[in-house]
Order: sequence, then C-alpha cells, then structure tokens
Amino acid sequence: MKEEALEIINGVLAKGRKSLVEYEAKQVLKAYGLPLPEEKLAKSADEAIKYAEEIGYPVVLKLMSPQILHKSDARVVALKIKDADELRKKWEEIHENARKYRPDAEILGVLVAPMLKPGREVIIGVTEDPQFGHAVMFGLGGIFVEILKDVTFRIVPIEEKDAWAMIKNIKGYPILAGARGEEPADMKALVDMILKVSKLVDDLKDYLKEMDLNPVFVYNEGEGAMIVDARIILK
Amino acid sequence: MEKPRIVEELKPFFEPKGVAIIGATDKKGKVGNVIFENFKMNKEKGIFKGNIYPVNLKLDEIEGYKVYKNVREVPEDAELAVISIPAKFVPATMKDIAEKGIKAVVIITGGFGELGEEGKKMERDILQTAKENGIRIVGPNCVGIYAPDTGVDTVFLPENKMDRPSSGNIAFVTQSGAFAAAMLDWAAMAGIGISKMVSYGNKLDVDDADLMDYFIHDEQTKVVTLYIEGVKEGRKFIEAARRITAVKPVIALKSGKTEYGAKAASSHTGALAGADTIYDAVFKQTGILRAEDFEHMFDVAKAFAKCKLPKGDRVGIITDGGGAGVMASDAVAKFGLKMAELSKETIDFLKEKFPPHAVAGNPTDVVGDTDAQRYKYAIEAFVNDPNVDAIVIITLFQVPLLDEMELIDILAEYAQKSDKPIVAVAMGGKKTEYYAKILEDKGIPVYMTPERGVRAVAGLVQYAKYLEKLGE
Repeated sequence: MKEEALEIINGVLAKGRKSLVEYEAKQVLKAYGLPLPEEKLAKSADEAIKYAEEIGYPVVLKLMSPQILHKSDARVVALKIKDADELRKKWEEIHENARKYRPDAEILGVLVAPMLKPGREVIIGVTEDPQFGHAVMFGLGGIFVEILKDVTFRIVPIEEKDAWAMIKNIKGYPILAGARGEEPADMKALVDMILKVSKLVDDLKDYLKEMDLNPVFVYNEGEGAMIVDARIILK
Repeated sequence: MEKPRIVEELKPFFEPKGVAIIGATDKKGKVGNVIFENFKMNKEKGIFKGNIYPVNLKLDEIEGYKVYKNVREVPEDAELAVISIPAKFVPATMKDIAEKGIKAVVIITGGFGELGEEGKKMERDILQTAKENGIRIVGPNCVGIYAPDTGVDTVFLPENKMDRPSSGNIAFVTQSGAFAAAMLDWAAMAGIGISKMVSYGNKLDVDDADLMDYFIHDEQTKVVTLYIEGVKEGRKFIEAARRITAVKPVIALKSGKTEYGAKAASSHTGALAGADTIYDAVFKQTGILRAEDFEHMFDVAKAFAKCKLPKGDRVGIITDGGGAGVMASDAVAKFGLKMAELSKETIDFLKEKFPPHAVAGNPTDVVGDTDAQRYKYAIEAFVNDPNVDAIVIITLFQVPLLDEMELIDILAEYAQKSDKPIVAVAMGGKKTEYYAKILEDKGIPVYMTPERGVRAVAGLVQYAKYLEKLGE
C-alpha cells in the first residue's frame, strides 16, 4: 500500500510539483483500497475511444493538467458522451479550452471515466493542524459544505467508533439516515472509507498536507460509495 | 494502576517538606511578600506542615524567620522553590537550585518568552538547567499552585483581596493567571471546593498533559477542569487525555474560538478546518467534555464532584412549580436528553399518595401547597423506577407549607442511598441561597435555574456514554 502510494508521490515531487492531479490522487487512493470508478488515462483521442468502448458509453472526459486544478472553471470536463464521434469532438473542445485558460498548461492526458449514477453527495477531507497533526473531515457535499459548513473532524488515527460518531455528528445526518421516505445511505461504506483514509494519512503523514475527496457519491445501504473527484496537496 | 514517574515528580509542588521562597521580602504588597505570608499563615493554621525558607540577599530576617542569602544555603529538606525575583536573575538562580538538589520550581516571574528574543533565550537556559538536573518547572509568568489541604499557596493576590476556596474534589488547571485568581475568588464565594489549582503561565515545562497524568493518581481529585488557550504538544495532550478520561471526567473551556484555517488553505478541507473545529474533534475523541463558558464548566464539575454516574439518558423531574417543570422539560430536549416514561407502579403509587390536584407524571408536580412528605413520595418513587436514570428536583423553597430542613434531609438521604444522580434546582433570592448552601454541604449540587441543572445532568450522561463506548 504505502510503497505504491509513495512511488506516485515521489514521482510528482521529482517533477517539482506539490499537488497531484486527479488521476495521480486516485492512484494513491487506489493503493489503499478506496472505492474508485473504472477509469483510464488516454494520451490520444483514439486511445480514449478504445477505453470508452471498454468502459461502455456514456463516458466522461476530464483533462489532466498540473496547471489546471479547477477543472470546471477551465471547462475541461465533458459529461455524458454518447459515442465515438462525440468523443472526438469533445476531445478537441476541452484541449482548446485548456489552451485558452492556460496557454502554458502541460497536459498529462485525458481521464476517461464512466458516467456514475448519482448518489447522495458527501465530502471526505484531510488537513494538518500545527498542534494535533492530521485530521479527517466528513460532511455532506454541495451547499451543506459550501454554505452551512456542516462538517466534523477527527484526529488521525481514527477508530471505528469515532468514524460512526463523525457521520452521526453532522446536522445533516437525517439525510443519510433516510429522511422523507428515502432509503438509508450505505453508512458502513462511509465508515470503511473514513478508516481507510485514516490509515492512508497515518502512513503518508510526512508527505501529505491536504486532501479532498469531493464529491463522494454514497448509494443506498448495501450498494457502496464511489469517489468522483479527488485532490491531494503535498507538503 | 502503576504510578508513572510524573506522580513522584510533581508531588513536591503540592506537598513539599520545605519550601524556599526566593525573593521573599517584608515589603507589604510585593509578590515575594504575599507568597511568604501565604505560607506563614497556613503554617500558623497548621495546614502547611513543611518548613519555610525565605531567600533574599538583602535581608537577615522576616517576621521571625531566618532569611538565607542564597538558595544553596537553605536546609536539606527544601523540596520546592518558588521564584519571584526579576527575570534576568532567574537563569543563575536555577543553577543554584540545581546545585541544591531541589527538583520542583514555580517561577512566578513574568517577562520571558512573552517579551521577545532576549526572554526566549533566558527560557531556553532555564529549561536546559532543568532538563540536565531532572527539575520540573511550573511557569514562568504564572500564579502557580493552590492546594488547600496542604497549604501550598503561591497565589500572589493577598487574602484580603482574593478569597480562597475550601478543600474539595475539583482540580483546576489554567494557563491564565488572571483567570486563576478570578476563578478561585468566585469558587470561594460559590462554595465550590478545589482539590488543587495549577496556573502554568508560559508552560515552559509542566503542561496540561503532565497534570492530567498526575491527577489520575490524585485520590482527592474526582474531576479535572481545564482552561486552555493553546496546546503545544498535541499528541502528548491526546494521549494523556485518553488515559485520564478512562477513569475521571475532564471538562475543558477553550478560549479563542476565532477561525484561522481559511487563510492559507488550498483545499476545501483546509479552508473549513479552523483551530476551534480541531479542538472540538480532539475533545470528542478523547472524551473531554467541552464547556461553553466558565459557569457551564463549574456547573458540570460540581455535578461530577457530588453525583453518581447515570446508567442512561432518561430524566425524571419533580417540581413544586408548573412553570419551572416546563423549563426543565425544555432543557431536557435542548441538551439531547430524554424525558423518562414513568412506570405504571410509579404513577399508581403517586396517585394513591397525592391529593387530586397534584400531578403524578413527568414532570411530577407536587404543587404549591406541598409539604416535605409529598416530595418524599415522589423521590422514593423516582429512585425505585427502573425507567428513570437521573433525577432533577426543583424546590421553590418559598412555598408556605414546606419545612425546608425536612426536605433537605430527605434529599440528602436519597442522594446518599440511591445509585442515580440527583441534582436540585432552587430558584430564588437570599433565603433560597441560604438553604441551597446547606443542601450543597450535604452533597447535592444545587443550580439556580432548571436549564443549568439539566445541563449539568447532560454532562454526566455524556461522560457515562463515553465510558460505555470505551468498554465496548
């Protein structure tokens, strides 16, 4: 686990970078068994089409560049691509947008990902406190985190009972428990993720500054969860 | 449990055989004089059992006590040194203390780390001397120690300006000296008993974690209260906190709720992580109860000092005033507790014993024409009811037929024999305060409002739940 993650981190550091692009961040997360969609990094449109066929349409394209961390601002994400023709068109479009946004942007490739079925959005994050060390954050995504700041933290390492308490501590917990006739969300999957993140952070604490898994889709009980986007910032 | 080294290391701060007061003087009002007078007075009262050795280069004698020119000359039984001389002389004095072999030092003097590079360098020198010689330091820039049972009192605010609280079961640890003084004065007035108070100021050496470890083994201390401005060694704090909360409750008041996190964060999480949210996390994970304010901290501490722990979160309320009962019920919901559903036996028993206009239920309202006996029926029933985990008894002592002392004795009797926590709420003025004081002396915590009483119970429940989870 640690060796694979360190290989990626050291690769990024060797290039003089302090932040991992989504693809790299997800490789680190994968090393710790966190739930990720089947995704591939394509270097050409042809390669992207090949991967899209393996994954199955519709797919998503996300352009990976160390200079573009806010992908939606730069409009380098294309959703719901139905077939090869559309993929080729969107491929050109997101490259064009990247050049307009940052003419000097180095492009590492394009992530070809499946369109995920939507779930309840949550965020899992990591930060480092100067006195207490790394802490993991949990909250509901979207406006709950942006506006209401409905999040809770625990210091690493986190025990299972702490992970459960994190989920139950947030004000929006009823949304996960199943408000208004909804089925409850897969909270066991979230606890498992929080514990894996805690382990990852404990292993990599000398390297890691901040991390966002945002959003994470959590599905109904028994159906798991999926990390949609991820960012890691190194010390 | 095996006692760690810290217990032996800190013992001389609280029960020294002899104390060297470095900077003792006969000039009234000076820090070195107040500290000397504190020890002298406590010795005369027979509370301080050790010997007192004033140290001052310029004096031969203070009020009949021989004065030593240098701490190196004091008799061998000196185990504690209290320093109140100007900062620039402290590093050299530390060397003398080391040579003497004294292992516990309270540095009252300010003007070190808080005043720039020169002071920081002196602090480093002092700490180095301490480390090389196995000396522990409380301070600098602090008011030090107050231990009512052994008469150690380095608080340099004189007795005629600041009252001292009596002996009790609550330990109080604070960074701020001003807060220490204000709180001791207030605790004396409020009748809150203190086991030990430590104000550590710049905490060059002894910190919250050391003191938590010490208090685990201090039999007199039942509950620890902390006033924290900032923690330097977070990991050490977390570990010590976990150790003590497994056996004793800790309540913390953390000042500085302002957020700093947003300033330099490049991630969402970083932007959301304020210092305060992190402290919240630390307290939750270590089982420390967080107080909203000063009043909250001591309300809960008082409950821990006097009450048993509840087995659950179901509260039973007994009142002689309807409005107060409603206020208490609201507070039960507000603080996340549950109203107990009384058993049929309880309801039947109360209906049989009560006149028709009294209310058998939760709250049980013994109403304004109650006597002490009606309260007794209610308490008896609640104590025996398996659906009730904690009992809040509201007594408006003003009602005409109530024999106050009879009721107080009934409460004391049940608080003693029941295994459930019982807290009392007494609203009123001077007369109420008089009876509340008697009630507290008999071991029942009394609160001014239903909300404060219920909030104290919520603290007991929160800690009981933490212990339960810990045992799983």
